[in-house]
Amino acid sequence: MVEDFKPFSHREKGWDEGRFLEIAKKMLAQKKQISVGKTTDFPVGRFKIVDVEGREIGITQLKNGEFRAVRNVCPHKGAPVCKGPIGGTTLPSAVGELIYGRQGEILACPWHGFEFDLLTGDELIRSGRPTKLLMYPVAVENDNVVVTL
Amino acid sequence: MDMPEKQTGIGQQSTFKVVDCDVHPYVKEGISSVFPYMPEAWKQRFMRKRATVGAEARSLKYLHPNGQVNREDARPPCGGVSGSDPHYLVQDLLVKNKIEHAVLNCLQTGALCSTLAGTDESIVLCAAFNDYLIDQWLKVDNRLKLAMSVPSQDPQASAAEIRRIGKHPQIVAVSLPLLNILMGNRYWWPIYEAAQAMQLPILVHVTGPDSIFYGPPIAAGGIPDSYVERYVTLNQAGESSVNSLVFSGVFEKFPDLKVIFVEYGFLWLLPLLWRMDRTWRQLRHEVPWVKKSPVEYVHKHIRFSTQPIDEPQNPKDLDKLIEIMGYDQLCFSTDYPHWDNDMPGQSLRGLPAAERQKIFWDNALTTFRMR
Repeated sequence: MVEDFKPFSHREKGWDEGRFLEIAKKMLAQKKQISVGKTTDFPVGRFKIVDVEGREIGITQLKNGEFRAVRNVCPHKGAPVCKGPIGGTTLPSAVGELIYGRQGEILACPWHGFEFDLLTGDELIRSGRPTKLLMYPVAVENDNVVVTL
Repeated sequence: MDMPEKQTGIGQQSTFKVVDCDVHPYVKEGISSVFPYMPEAWKQRFMRKRATVGAEARSLKYLHPNGQVNREDARPPCGGVSGSDPHYLVQDLLVKNKIEHAVLNCLQTGALCSTLAGTDESIVLCAAFNDYLIDQWLKVDNRLKLAMSVPSQDPQASAAEIRRIGKHPQIVAVSLPLLNILMGNRYWWPIYEAAQAMQLPILVHVTGPDSIFYGPPIAAGGIPDSYVERYVTLNQAGESSVNSLVFSGVFEKFPDLKVIFVEYGFLWLLPLLWRMDRTWRQLRHEVPWVKKSPVEYVHKHIRFSTQPIDEPQNPKDLDKLIEIMGYDQLCFSTDYPHWDNDMPGQSLRGLPAAERQKIFWDNALTTFRMR
């Protein structure tokens, strides 16, 4: 964290928008990039859960080679969502028909079964107020998987 | 909230036009009355087995504690059972309450078709009762509309009956006597197909033998012990059917089909929809043909009649619950001439005028095939 950052309000004497933006930029620049392991540590088709500064984060590799870093907390009721199965699902179909697709792209929460799209983090259903996984930016640098907190 | 009228007289002060989506005509002499509307051989069959009036749809323990389900004050001056004289019904119900359209639903036909008659008998009787009502009731007043019955023990014959008379301009719905087969089941699909083709909604209503005989829907968990107990459970088949219609994909298969649940109550819809929506969200992949939230299907395709209105201990809670539900789901009904009826003058008086207008008029016009 930025050490000289102290909470303040615009009502305070001395409010300076320029100073605020400067601090915010500094904070963004100081986002931590943490290596969580080698690319070979993280298999396709399931999450490996790592502890990153006290946060449980599930890391997995998708079929397309991209990595995902997902906070191990379901946005619905707090379940360890990364312990759910990664698979496909049935696509919208005619009555009585099943079409299976999106293999390897769908995470189902082990508690209530909410399905999440691992490409975007979105809950599959889009009506009402859909939830979304908390995903961290993740990159590969020299065979290391690097998560940005 | 549901409140007594300010002035005396049944519904005299209602200030707007009304559609009543649940009125029960009573065919005075039962099966004997419809003999002229059936082939001679069938008439002989019914006469020989002395099935002239019909059969009792309820056993001893379910007889009404006050001796009849009808309002004594609705008895025609010329005598006979309440609801048996179309001319008096027009004066007593329609004129007094500014009812412009009254949807007739004959429960005698319903009970015969769902339970009391055999399959072939029900096909003949259903057509005869329908023709009788067209001839003896619809001609009396253009405000009288008919929810035509179908012989539901035979879905193909039911579809044929819809095609036979469904174009009549005063027929506005298909009254489907339910069996103990959930409404999403493919058994019913030929009927839905025919109704959709005629732009007629499916109207469902308890037919009388429910929870009493094997055949019609039955209460969950066991057999009730009294009229009171049974009455309170009658909504259960409605809940099960809404659930079944949505998850079996009926509204994907028949995208123009409408269904109106009459006299099943409606406040149960709120928790039912919340439960359906949550479970769909969790396990949608089992029924991938359900492409939208169950809430959306129900709002688009299903309506509920208002009577009998459940009455929270604080009457204002009713207004709040209807506000949460939305005003597009409900169609006013009296259930004349039955004991538990509601009248336009007192019903839902706590709602804003514009919303009452939807419930008493607008919603019915987009539900029934009114021309």
